[in-house]
Amino acid sequence: MIDFTDLVDPEHGWVSPQIYTDPEIYERELQHVFGRSWLFLAHDSQLPKPGSFLQTYMGEDPVLVVRQRDGSVRAFLNQCRHRGMRICRSEAGVSKAFTCTYHGWSYDLAGNLINVPLEERAYHSSIDKKEWGAMKVPRVANYRGFYFGTWSEETPEFDAYLGDMAFYFDAIVDRFDSGLEFVKGTTKWVIDCNWKFASEQFASDMYHTQSAHASALLALTDDPNPIGPLNDPNVPGRQFSGNGHGSGGYFLPAPVVKTPEMTDTMFEWFKSREEEMVARIGADRLSKVSITHNTIFPNFSWLGAHSTMRVWHPRGPGQIEVWAWTYVPKDAPPKVKNEIRELTQRTFSPAGSFETDDGENWTEIQQVLRGSQARRNRLHTAMGVGYEERDAFGLPGLGNDVYSETAARGFYRHWLDMLTGKPWSEIQKWTPNGNHGELRDEGVTA
Amino acid sequence: MNADVTSCPSTYRTVDPQIQHSVEQFLYAEAELLDQHRYLEWVELFAEDTHYWVPTRMTRPNRERHLEVAGEDEAALIDDDKFFLRGRARRYSSGISWSEEPPSRTRRLITNIRISRRAESSDLEVRSNFYVYRSRLERHQDWFVGERFDVLRTADINTTGYPYVIAARKVILEQTTLLCPSLSIFL
Repeated sequence: MIDFTDLVDPEHGWVSPQIYTDPEIYERELQHVFGRSWLFLAHDSQLPKPGSFLQTYMGEDPVLVVRQRDGSVRAFLNQCRHRGMRICRSEAGVSKAFTCTYHGWSYDLAGNLINVPLEERAYHSSIDKKEWGAMKVPRVANYRGFYFGTWSEETPEFDAYLGDMAFYFDAIVDRFDSGLEFVKGTTKWVIDCNWKFASEQFASDMYHTQSAHASALLALTDDPNPIGPLNDPNVPGRQFSGNGHGSGGYFLPAPVVKTPEMTDTMFEWFKSREEEMVARIGADRLSKVSITHNTIFPNFSWLGAHSTMRVWHPRGPGQIEVWAWTYVPKDAPPKVKNEIRELTQRTFSPAGSFETDDGENWTEIQQVLRGSQARRNRLHTAMGVGYEERDAFGLPGLGNDVYSETAARGFYRHWLDMLTGKPWSEIQKWTPNGNHGELRDEGVTA
Repeated sequence: MNADVTSCPSTYRTVDPQIQHSVEQFLYAEAELLDQHRYLEWVELFAEDTHYWVPTRMTRPNRERHLEVAGEDEAALIDDDKFFLRGRARRYSSGISWSEEPPSRTRRLITNIRISRRAESSDLEVRSNFYVYRSRLERHQDWFVGERFDVLRTADINTTGYPYVIAARKVILEQTTLLCPSLSIFL
């Protein structure tokens, strides 16, 4: 039996390491966390025409995400209803229908069963094909070209689920008139660690950058003393926490600033679009929500400065698959798109100068947690407790210094609420535009 | 047309044994530098205008196999010119690059070396298969298996110590989902 009272303490700031290792907790996560959250499925640009499809995962469940003939996007479990075989075994492509290779049952683009071989002789024409379609993802939301799906009918609408996180998401995805697109191709790799290390770090952890990524800029510039926020201990910055999501970033001295990693071409192009970006999201937001780390609960993350978006797919308590994409402004010239792609690959990919460090940390933690004593030991997540402020610095929601763990505590608070199966209507302090507060004056206690 | 390298309308190639020998010894020497972590020396085996490219790969049906390996403007694991290749070497040699500090132990097997002459050029197109074993820390291990497509350009061995520079390298891995936490070694 799991003792739910001894897993995390989002008020005082500690977590029990067993949340990263316990198989029973993991099974509950698949059901109650991944089964009830909005999970990222695909971006518009990955499904260019009717019949375009890709296979992704919701938790450990393989789903096909398919562009319909009417332009909408639907998703269904990639599992044949006859013997449970994977219906489609390509990662992506264009198709008119999906035929299981085991016995040949066929499904249309929406997952409806449309053909059963030998229907007359074998089934005596009595099978009700309407009843035996693939399992549909009942709710798919399109948020600015980003498709999210949930199995739960009870989960709030996506906008409400996002809450104040929309301010930080929009700062990246809504800054250009013509929007974003993904560079073709998904980079996939495996890290032997629990999914929450990755999700929580991208929600809440700017603190690790100076130590973990001490060498990252060495690969990107031959300047021995590059000037940038990573090297400035006094750079201002804030962290946001709400509904389990998290975002944090450094404030730039101006809306568009050249970082050490940026090429001249990239900088000049962004500078040329300053007016457009300011008109869409505002100069203040542009300067404060650009160099950011972010997670939409539970496992969709992106970085503002390095143009990477990714999903941390859970693969048992001790393993993840990372699926990563580079996002670029849709109407940028090819040279700019390419230079952004190259920068993303050089920083955040399995060979990237930042990413290689993260994999090293998470695998080592997971190895240490094989130890019995190591799993009994509480881990500290109390950075900045008591220093939270709401709606400060022109940033909506619960905030704290960029070097804090307010978003980690919010992440684990929400995670626990989900894990215990608490109904959405009772999830602590959940309001359509609200946050999980850590402010006791609002009547919230752990 | 150079008579020292001939290609049949098949995958069968013949090559002057001296060329085969010098290319093989060059690739073995390169592998030795990498297995000894002599990255700053290794990177100088590449031409100033080199392109080092490791595209991603995905599972596709036979009729779409031409789309299996990502194109030039698509997702890659590494897509570097000499400047950034040198940057990687500098970083892995820094002592503060934590996925290579302490360093991995690696062993490279370079085999199936096939040589043809690049059309209208004195450059050689060299394909080789590789099997790279990486052991790390207490018990972590990775295998990287694939094929390399190199373009070798003749160099002055008396100046550089090597008969060729690598004018381009494309590395095709057999895995679509990389079964490793980081690719912080060179292939």
